[in-house]
Amino acid sequence: MRILLIDDDEDLRNLLSRYIRGQWPDAQIDAYDPLERSMPDESFPLGSYDVLVLDYMLGRGDGLEWLKVLKQRADCPKVLFLTGAGNEIIAVRAMKAGADDYQRKQELTRDRLISSIRELTATEVERTVSPELAARMAGHSLGAKVHIPGIKVLHLIGEGGTARVYLASREDDDEPLVVKILRQEIVLNKKALERFMEEYSMVERLQSRHVARIIGHGAHQNNVYLVMEFFEGGDLSKRLAGKPVPPPEALKLFRELMFALGDIHEKGILHRDLKPQNLMFRRDGSLAIVDFGIAKDISAADRTGAGEVLGTPRYMSPEQVQGRALDLRTDIYSAGVLLYQMLTGRHLFDGETAMEVAMHHLNTQPAPLPEDLAHYQRLIDKLIEKDRDARFRNADEVIGFLARNFEQEKPEITQKLH
Amino acid sequence: MSADDYKVLVAKDIADLIPVFMKNRHKELEALRVALAAADFEQLRQLGHRMKGVGNSYGFNHVSTLGKSIEDGAKSGDRAALAATITEYDDYLSKVQIAYE
Repeated sequence: MRILLIDDDEDLRNLLSRYIRGQWPDAQIDAYDPLERSMPDESFPLGSYDVLVLDYMLGRGDGLEWLKVLKQRADCPKVLFLTGAGNEIIAVRAMKAGADDYQRKQELTRDRLISSIRELTATEVERTVSPELAARMAGHSLGAKVHIPGIKVLHLIGEGGTARVYLASREDDDEPLVVKILRQEIVLNKKALERFMEEYSMVERLQSRHVARIIGHGAHQNNVYLVMEFFEGGDLSKRLAGKPVPPPEALKLFRELMFALGDIHEKGILHRDLKPQNLMFRRDGSLAIVDFGIAKDISAADRTGAGEVLGTPRYMSPEQVQGRALDLRTDIYSAGVLLYQMLTGRHLFDGETAMEVAMHHLNTQPAPLPEDLAHYQRLIDKLIEKDRDARFRNADEVIGFLARNFEQEKPEITQKLH
Repeated sequence: MSADDYKVLVAKDIADLIPVFMKNRHKELEALRVALAAADFEQLRQLGHRMKGVGNSYGFNHVSTLGKSIEDGAKSGDRAALAATITEYDDYLSKVQIAYE
């Protein structure tokens, strides 16, 4: 395998070379310093490489311009484009200019680099494709096939249980967007399809800044899709990373979550699947809830069926574990579990299996907060009461409690995420 | 910053890259000072951007954080903030402790 690395940073070139050689000891890697050399001309043997790793900011040059020129050549190899973190519009432009993959530099790890190169060179280096890789490749090609008016689907960025998630852009102005394409196995499942479409119709009518903005939805051939805003700040799980959040910041996020719940509950909607992965941050640091994949209209007839359990065990309310009819208080409980995790950096309950964790919600009294967090014990207790009649009844009650007891703990500045 | 903030854990298999990495960081610090003295904000922005990109990759997250501050300060032309960040970078480089895992 031959790889060309074009980056103006010697340290990054050294590091990427080391990572690649660690995986493919025989790989030939040529480092190209754009501070010393101009753009490769026609005589440069571009076609002899399997992958070109190209940086966006090349010191004296613009990587996007280089990409456009090099991609016009018939012998241009697959291109992995590197961008600065939080710069999705550049990723959008790179993919539109022909990049085959992109990585954000600040999040670039050994595994991500290797995984990307492996995917780009799969046909060259692997005769037998692993099931995971085959699935991802199928996901990439699906995105290219789905036609959405005014939207360009660019790149697979994630996969969930019900849908594949793509980075996309609005053709008019390159605004980064997210497209969710429902998995075929879900499309064929009438009930799951109904849930996905409910997600759209419910979220659209919310019109709340605390909820992901939906741009559109529809179907193309046999694919059902949803277009929504892109969140540059990532999700709460990335922010937690197994560590506690300083209490004033945790309370600020929790308060925003309560406003979000207030907005959705007011419209008669339960979320039912609150978890760190479903709390997203915009570039300005504001929080929004996403993924109403299993959300259900409170007023709708119970279409989940008696005893059916949906949700993520770590954040499930006791009544959810039991498969009982749910009301607003199920989301209050889950939000309490999230607050516990933010304050302590630990899960409320752990277990070997999902069932074990779920049963803890029913039967186990949680450990008290550490002494330095004892101030928050009464709040936590009233959020995660197993008896929902003893719990806060709604988000407004929680917000009132916060105002009375923790008003002085607002963080001095709103932390922006980059 | 607490003592823990100066500790960096680096993978053993890239240990031999660290001397060059650190040498380049010190060169970068001098380049930042020169650029600030000349009020060359474009150069400051480029240097900050590079720090932002390379720091995390090696496990030096604070280098990326400072790089972001420098990039932002250069964009807004805030000389006082840039000077403070460069001083902090100097302090960080003089105290950082590297451990290998």
